[in-house]
Amino acid sequence: MLLEVDRVSRHFGGLIALNNVSLTAEEGQITGLIGPNGSGKTTLVNIISGFLRPTSGRITFAGQSIEGREPYRIARLGLCRTFQITLNPQRMTVMENMLLGAKQQLGESVLMAALKPRSVAAEERHNLERAWHLLEMVRLHNHANELAGGLSGGQKKLLALVQVLMAKPRLILLDEPVAGVNPRLIDDIVEVIKTLRNNGETFLIIEHNMAVIRELCDTLCVLDMGQVLAEGPVDAVLAREDVLRAYIAAGGQLDPDTEIATVMAADSQEHA
Amino acid sequence: MIDFIVYLLTIVGIYGLITLSLNFQYGQTGLVNFGQVAFFMVGAYFSSIATAILGWSVGVGFVLAILAGGVLGALMALPIGDLRQDYWAIATLAAAELIRMIFLNTNLGSEYVGASYGISGIPAPFQGYFSTQAYGYFYLALVAVCVVGAYVLVTWLGRSPYGRLLKGIRESDEVARALGKDVRNARIWSLVIGGAIAAAGGSLYAHFVGFIDPRFFMPLETFLIWAMVIMGGPGNNLGALVGTLVIEVIYNSTRFIHVPAEYSATVAALRMVLIGILIILVILYLPRGLVPERRRRYPRPSRLSSPPTGEPHAS
Repeated sequence: MLLEVDRVSRHFGGLIALNNVSLTAEEGQITGLIGPNGSGKTTLVNIISGFLRPTSGRITFAGQSIEGREPYRIARLGLCRTFQITLNPQRMTVMENMLLGAKQQLGESVLMAALKPRSVAAEERHNLERAWHLLEMVRLHNHANELAGGLSGGQKKLLALVQVLMAKPRLILLDEPVAGVNPRLIDDIVEVIKTLRNNGETFLIIEHNMAVIRELCDTLCVLDMGQVLAEGPVDAVLAREDVLRAYIAAGGQLDPDTEIATVMAADSQEHA
Repeated sequence: MIDFIVYLLTIVGIYGLITLSLNFQYGQTGLVNFGQVAFFMVGAYFSSIATAILGWSVGVGFVLAILAGGVLGALMALPIGDLRQDYWAIATLAAAELIRMIFLNTNLGSEYVGASYGISGIPAPFQGYFSTQAYGYFYLALVAVCVVGAYVLVTWLGRSPYGRLLKGIRESDEVARALGKDVRNARIWSLVIGGAIAAAGGSLYAHFVGFIDPRFFMPLETFLIWAMVIMGGPGNNLGALVGTLVIEVIYNSTRFIHVPAEYSATVAALRMVLIGILIILVILYLPRGLVPERRRRYPRPSRLSSPPTGEPHAS
């Protein structure tokens, strides 16, 4: 198991945001994480990526215990995340964003930049070439010299995805990769993620769009009120009545014939 | 008049070092340093103590000043390296006042040296070789060499992967952290480099005017330096120098306005009003400054070699 979250809890004062949550992500697979608003998904992602400390519980990544470590150390182990609201450097160009993504560059140290200019230049050339390839893959290469702040919402999501790829991660944590993205670009993003999975990348994806979840995920974990409600293969999980009820309770509408996908799609529309 | 222009350009050069330094910290790294004057002060004091009090050579004083500025940068950044930018503002402001208070209350050597008496008799380097007027040109050239050196340094660093990392931190330290960057370390280095450059300016200032005193280093100085960076264009080194020139010209212009003596204080205060109005106009109509930050363009290679193995490729 590449990532193992073991009975993680997080309290904010008297509020229990996560209560004994366990979750695994297997190498080469796409694991989905869904749940109504306020169920604790983002808290969990922030804990896994080191931006929040868990109140209790253990997290193991690639055999190493990572709970409570600093975010950059976790990222250096190969667990990289994107953000729900695209926080990508706006006043940097798309290409600068890409080059920033490359992991632990020699030239990022002042001393090395001064002492080993040749190695730094060679590294830069290598990263530049990789960046052009990745930008071509997501068809952003014609925007390479534009400021990232000028891209559309969907293009920003794509940029965040390929930027993370520059770091050659072992596990990519995507926080709502298609929220607020127009349908055509959603298809593009789904295609890109599929291609990457077929090349052996591992993902943990938070998403509200059920069509995307069905299309992409191998296994699914449902959070509700800070607890794991269901876990297992996608179809089996989505067929469960308690999962349906959790979403309906959150959505405030009750119609026995409604299929869960419709409810959740409506839910995701609200976010868009 | 020519003497005045030489004087003005020398001051612009000295302040230019301090704005290049702040531009590196703020324009490049996004660090809101409201204690910039501390580096200026430490540079001036270390150089003065080394030369006027300990009797060492000006070269030694200059190097000591630069080292002291770098060390101060590290000391200021260490405890707040992980904090958000708004905390930097208050912490650096406090640090600068603290340092001023230390110098204001410390006698240096004898009873009437240091503290509120300041330090006088700071030697001017190579003065014996020049006439008074020629020395003005010489010192201007000395300052110009330092400004060019600092300009080349910050521009080179800005274009290096380290500079890109600083820009990334400026835009979003969360993203930088999530990409595995040691944000704290990068910020500390930014303040070390910035501190060293500003301290060099402080040293040149002390040897230029020959006398320093804690009243020269009030928080107002920091805000003038900020005005220079904001007016010139944060993130652009040339802009920092242009902003310095504009503000210094305004600051020195009132000496040519002849008014009855009882109004001279009013006219002096009007300079700050004028600078304030200009800053508001720049923020409203030229929010990116007189010389906006430039983006670096990467030409697309005409032929990409085959993608690295295991790398997904465009369908």
